[in-house]
Amino acid sequence: MITVNDFNGKVKPDWCPACGNFSQLTAIKGALTELQIEPKNTVIVSGIGCSSNLPEFIRAYGFHGLHGRVLPVASGVKWANSDLTVIGYGGDGDGFFEGTQHFFHTAKRNVDITYIVSDNQIFGLTTGQASPTSEIGFVSKSTPDGNIEKPVNPLTFGLAAGATFVARAFSGDPKHLTEIIKRGIQHKGFSFIDVMSPCVTFNKLNTYDYFRKRVYKYEAKDLKDFSAAYRISEEWGDKIPIGIFYEIESKRYEEMDPVEVEGPLVTHPIYSVKDEDLEELV
Amino acid sequence: MFNMSDNEIVFRVAGAAGDGVQSAGLIMAKTFARSGLYAVTYNYYQDIVRGGESWYQVRASPKKVRNQGDGLDILVTLNEDGLVRHTNPNINEGGASSLSGIAIFDESITNYEKQQKVDYRPMPLSTIAGKYSKNPLLKNTVALSAAAASIGIDFEVMAGVIKETFGNKGAVADQNVQAAKEGYDYFKAHYPPYGKKLDFSKRKLYLIGGGEAVGFGAVKGGLKMYTAYPMTPASSCLHYLASHARKFDLFVKVSEDEISAINMAIGGNYAGVRAMTGSSGGGFALMTEAVGMAAMLEIPLVIYEAQRSGPSTGLPTKTEQGDLNQVMGASQGDFLKIIFAPRNVMEAATLTAEALNVAERFQTPVFVMVDLYLAEHSETVENLNFDFRIDRGERPKDGQANYKRYLITDTGISPRAVPGQEGLMHNEDSDEHNEYGDVVSDAVTDPKDRIKMMEKRMRKMQTYINEMPPTETYRADDAEYLVFQWGSTQGVVEEAIDLLRKKNIKVGAVEINRVFPMNPDIGKIIKSRKKIIVVENNYSGQYNSLLKSRFLCQTELITKYDGESFFPGELATSIENAIKR
Ligand SMILES: Cc1ncc(C[n+]2csc(CCOP(=O)(O)OP(=O)(O)O)c2C)c(N)n1
Ligand code: SF4
Ligand SMILES: [Mg+2]
Repeated sequence: MITVNDFNGKVKPDWCPACGNFSQLTAIKGALTELQIEPKNTVIVSGIGCSSNLPEFIRAYGFHGLHGRVLPVASGVKWANSDLTVIGYGGDGDGFFEGTQHFFHTAKRNVDITYIVSDNQIFGLTTGQASPTSEIGFVSKSTPDGNIEKPVNPLTFGLAAGATFVARAFSGDPKHLTEIIKRGIQHKGFSFIDVMSPCVTFNKLNTYDYFRKRVYKYEAKDLKDFSAAYRISEEWGDKIPIGIFYEIESKRYEEMDPVEVEGPLVTHPIYSVKDEDLEELV
Repeated sequence: MFNMSDNEIVFRVAGAAGDGVQSAGLIMAKTFARSGLYAVTYNYYQDIVRGGESWYQVRASPKKVRNQGDGLDILVTLNEDGLVRHTNPNINEGGASSLSGIAIFDESITNYEKQQKVDYRPMPLSTIAGKYSKNPLLKNTVALSAAAASIGIDFEVMAGVIKETFGNKGAVADQNVQAAKEGYDYFKAHYPPYGKKLDFSKRKLYLIGGGEAVGFGAVKGGLKMYTAYPMTPASSCLHYLASHARKFDLFVKVSEDEISAINMAIGGNYAGVRAMTGSSGGGFALMTEAVGMAAMLEIPLVIYEAQRSGPSTGLPTKTEQGDLNQVMGASQGDFLKIIFAPRNVMEAATLTAEALNVAERFQTPVFVMVDLYLAEHSETVENLNFDFRIDRGERPKDGQANYKRYLITDTGISPRAVPGQEGLMHNEDSDEHNEYGDVVSDAVTDPKDRIKMMEKRMRKMQTYINEMPPTETYRADDAEYLVFQWGSTQGVVEEAIDLLRKKNIKVGAVEINRVFPMNPDIGKIIKSRKKIIVVENNYSGQYNSLLKSRFLCQTELITKYDGESFFPGELATSIENAIKR
């Protein structure tokens, strides 16, 4: 029996008190526990940013890599050992600026990874510059006169790319967040969860209060309805929906690759070349 | 001028892109190899799919051949331009010789100025081909078989290669063989044989390209995953691996860019399989940041770096050894980076296998650097299926108490746990960390830990140097003059040395295949020589700079940067001049 304590890391998180990342850490541990996934079979791959420090704070196999490169590393891990539960974790700058191309293509490939983005609509670690999800007019160190660039919508982007699981959650609702992460991990294929996660130090606009006033729980009538998912993903303003917007079953990359289907690559024996293999070169 | 050997043939087929020059060249190379002759090919082409000019050369001999060679015995030309270019005594093809032998071409080509050293052999190539098929490329087969007839190659040997090339059975293969036979007989009936006689044999030889050899060597070395983004000349390896993926049980992925390719390979190695990535200079530039990450997290990684002429897109189909500075300088900070540069096709295989062992044992990036010439030419080799023992490096036992991923050791190497192992969970971090992998750079920077970890990682350099095999030399024992070469220039340098030795010049070579870290024994080798000469296929002498700064020696530099490899006679002359300078 695996308990939450099994996932307790020995390093204490160094995030600012009340940072939205805390509840995501708790939620990830909770979801893994509920699913009885062993720490030894869990790999958390992150990028660079405040949020990306997370692997250090959890007892599992952690990979704290480069800014923007969460998903290719996570894909490599999954393809090397498809028995592992692979979670990609990073910031909005990490995923939607520096890592945009990887997000697009990993979603499209339907690699069996759960990708959680701590979306605080700002660069936290670099002390407060506008991010790809910062709202128009948002004043930050890099946009002292207010942001003039339209924010990206990670959810419609994920849908357009072909993600087979798309959800939004809120750090201020840890129970709901845990449930969504659990569903994301259970999903067979690429699952994307955008977590609205207040940066209490640098983002004075998108605060806990801001979200508490606006978020409501969305229950999809038909999770397979792409148009409905797209429409709900576009909703942002006075009301902000959270929940699972879209989920379909579709072949995973690992199911289609002729070598991957033979089971986790790490378990394949090393190929021993026979002389006959080389006859084509004579 | 230097006299080339009588006991060899230099064959060349010329035409435009789309004329089937390369496949014609390969048919000839295979035919030579099956006739028991050693062969080396040379591929001259442009960044264009149709038109322009291209040619393919094959040098064959019953004795081992080490480069594409000088001289030209037999020219098959598929157009008029080729005839004019390759018979011109003032030929301008990057050092290749003009024809002094026979030219085989279609009789419809009549508009050319006759050259003294050329015997013209016009043939009804298209007419013969037209009897069997409308496909204009069939005339190539007719011309090749005429060339085979001119030097007495057994028609059945050539027919075998032709059949295989065109899908063994079926109408196309039959048409080609029939047309070839008519071409073969036509030549014999109308023209005398070429003046050189070759000793054919039953020797079993494999014909393989450098890029393919890298891929094959990787498979021998236990490769399980290859992730890349296509770029000439790294693609010959990619194509080989992709087309053999199922046979060799290999996961191959072309991903969205080189950044993802290298990060995927790192993820694969981290999770316990042998993974490799590859590109040319432009693509490798995008991989730079991840090279340092592999070193920091101490994850094994082999990077295949196939150089072409730079800067920027440069000459995409031309050779150069211009990426050494780039590879040396890739990624911020100090760390152990090991650079191999195979010197010939066989070594492309063996060193790649070794690179996979070294990367996993030292948990650091290892480069296999080749150039376009090596990646895209073929050589005959005898025992391709070489013996190799895989060494997966130090691994901790499951459940080991108080596991430290970055344990401080004398060698600098720490036992490496992979995900899935019981009780060894830990964090691997691109931030500076302590022995456990916990970050020491965020809340409080611990200078002591930093120093310990930096020194631990760098200690791997000395551990590696201690086990380096001695640097190889060629005719160096009594040499007053030493020529340094690295990578693909080995064959041409050796031949240039042989040519100079015939003139009683005491010259030898130092042949570098383990470029960095530099072997300290080089210091002893260069002692009390009259002159050190460095030969490089680039503008500035990038290895030369390394050599001088490490061993504080004076050197003479010979470079070539027109996009072509060195040719032996040309190089011998340059070395002779450098000695006289
Ligand atoms: C290649 C590269 N560029 C820039 C940086 C500097 N940098 C570190 S974190 C960061 C942005 C962090 O924002 P985000 O990804 O949203 O994470 P957060 O800190 O908000 O969780 C940047 C620009 C870097 N580490 N690497
Ligand atoms: S700066 Fe913002 S994102 Fe970073 S730890 Fe503090 S609150 Fe969290
Ligand atoms: Mg952010």
